[in-house]
Amino acid sequence: MTATTAPEAKLQVLPRADGSAKFSSAGYTVIGSVNGPIEAQRRDEHAYEAHVDVIVRPAAGVGGTRERHLESILQSSLAQLILVKNFPRHLIQIVLQVEETPENDYANAKLVQASLNFPILPALLQTAVLALLSASVPMRATATASFVAVLSQDGTNKVVVDPPPRDIETARSVHVLAFTSHDELLLAESEGDFTVKEWDDVYDTAKRICCQSGGAKTGIEMELDDAGDNGLDMRRFLRSAVETKVEADLHWK
Amino acid sequence: MPREAEPSLNERQFVLQALRENLRLDGRPFDKYRPVELIFGEQYGVVEVSFGKTKILAKTSAELTVPYVDRPLDGIFTIATELSPMTAPSFEVNRPTETEVLLSRLLEKTVRRSGALDTESLCLVAGQKCWSVRVDVHVLSHDGDLTDAACLAVVAALRHFRKPDTSIEGGLLTVYTPAEREPVPLSWLHSPFCVTWSFYGDQGEMALLDATLSEEHVRVGSCTISMNRHGEICQIAKLGGTPVDAVALLQCTNVALVKVKDFSAFLDRKLAEDAKRRDKGGLMAELSAENDR
Repeated sequence: MTATTAPEAKLQVLPRADGSAKFSSAGYTVIGSVNGPIEAQRRDEHAYEAHVDVIVRPAAGVGGTRERHLESILQSSLAQLILVKNFPRHLIQIVLQVEETPENDYANAKLVQASLNFPILPALLQTAVLALLSASVPMRATATASFVAVLSQDGTNKVVVDPPPRDIETARSVHVLAFTSHDELLLAESEGDFTVKEWDDVYDTAKRICCQSGGAKTGIEMELDDAGDNGLDMRRFLRSAVETKVEADLHWK
Repeated sequence: MPREAEPSLNERQFVLQALRENLRLDGRPFDKYRPVELIFGEQYGVVEVSFGKTKILAKTSAELTVPYVDRPLDGIFTIATELSPMTAPSFEVNRPTETEVLLSRLLEKTVRRSGALDTESLCLVAGQKCWSVRVDVHVLSHDGDLTDAACLAVVAALRHFRKPDTSIEGGLLTVYTPAEREPVPLSWLHSPFCVTWSFYGDQGEMALLDATLSEEHVRVGSCTISMNRHGEICQIAKLGGTPVDAVALLQCTNVALVKVKDFSAFLDRKLAEDAKRRDKGGLMAELSAENDR
């Protein structure tokens, strides 16, 4: 399976949840549902803000510490976006079900012990944001995320966006960066050896993917843009996914 | 996490009165399923089944392990069912509800105990190495008739699945990666399907197929019949509820056989379509390392 597939999203795929979304990108497919604001259990209740509950479920096997780790990262990022102070003593429940992860044809994976990791984090975050939008949960801003790896090829380091699973194994370092719609850095997780210079490169690459202005570009700017890494623009993608849904919903008007 | 809202008295009366007038809320005849959809994933062994608004995702995976000490010649086959809060916020993680226990029990009886998968073929080295095949059933959306949908999803996922090819030469076991050798299908013996009847009325005289959630809430009893297309019954579960006339139950099994034949033909067609889609350039026959049985 080729890993460089364009992102795809569909909103409101589950009839019973308040909001739901299906997102697939780079071989990952995640389906997410949001229920909320609903009544919180006594132990989760905060007196001044809503409790954001994130549940990550792997496609095969039971979740372990890795899933709990991803949950905690997502929980703290999403709590920044959602206007939690508006709903004291409430719960906003986000369930993210992984459907497919890209397979490495050159190795037999150990599947029963589920092991999700960093590469899936952008897909999870993007699904959560789309599902929250679909559930009309009030948010401060939306967010876009990207996965960037630094590969060392013939002695030179190369910054690659969404590399295939085989390259991730040999990458020197992998990074997950997310930005809000106000161009603020929301999440930065890194793994491996890297220098400050490399991180700056990664930051610039990720920012280009996540924070393009989205408007139509003209002349030389457009040409330069097309020459960049496959013109991936997460913000425009997010906007168009929601626009398509709204258009379909308001078709009767 | 709030409790699931039960249907009000008015809702109950409405559904029941309609049934008494031979009407269902969605206008279906009593013995007709909602439109069944089945989509295979990009990978082998991933399938999404939907019956109307009920949606189920099943994923099959295989791993090498050591067989159980008391069964050294058998591989391991498990079906894991968990209802997440995605289904409804009233379900909690790691706290099985009655629905979930009944569902996994019925799937276990239908697929595992009926010997649909030949577990002996999963054993590679007696007492040392075997395959552990696992099917994960994820309920994405619950609108009644979970058992039938989940059973179809499990059977479809297992029949679609391919495990890595292996060879033993001079006591040395080699497991080939998908890049080296085309993965092989599981040794599948027969395809059982579940058909669930819901009963209504004081003596359970009305029987409905594929009840939606609101219809499930007001039923007086239910009966799940599992059989394959040859009419061999794997199990019948009638768990409590109002007693039903034996002759009526016989009639139910006859109709169930027709439905099972439909399911079987539907799944065969879908699998053939998917095989055709994957068979790019007609190379699959040459790549396959599988021997004829």
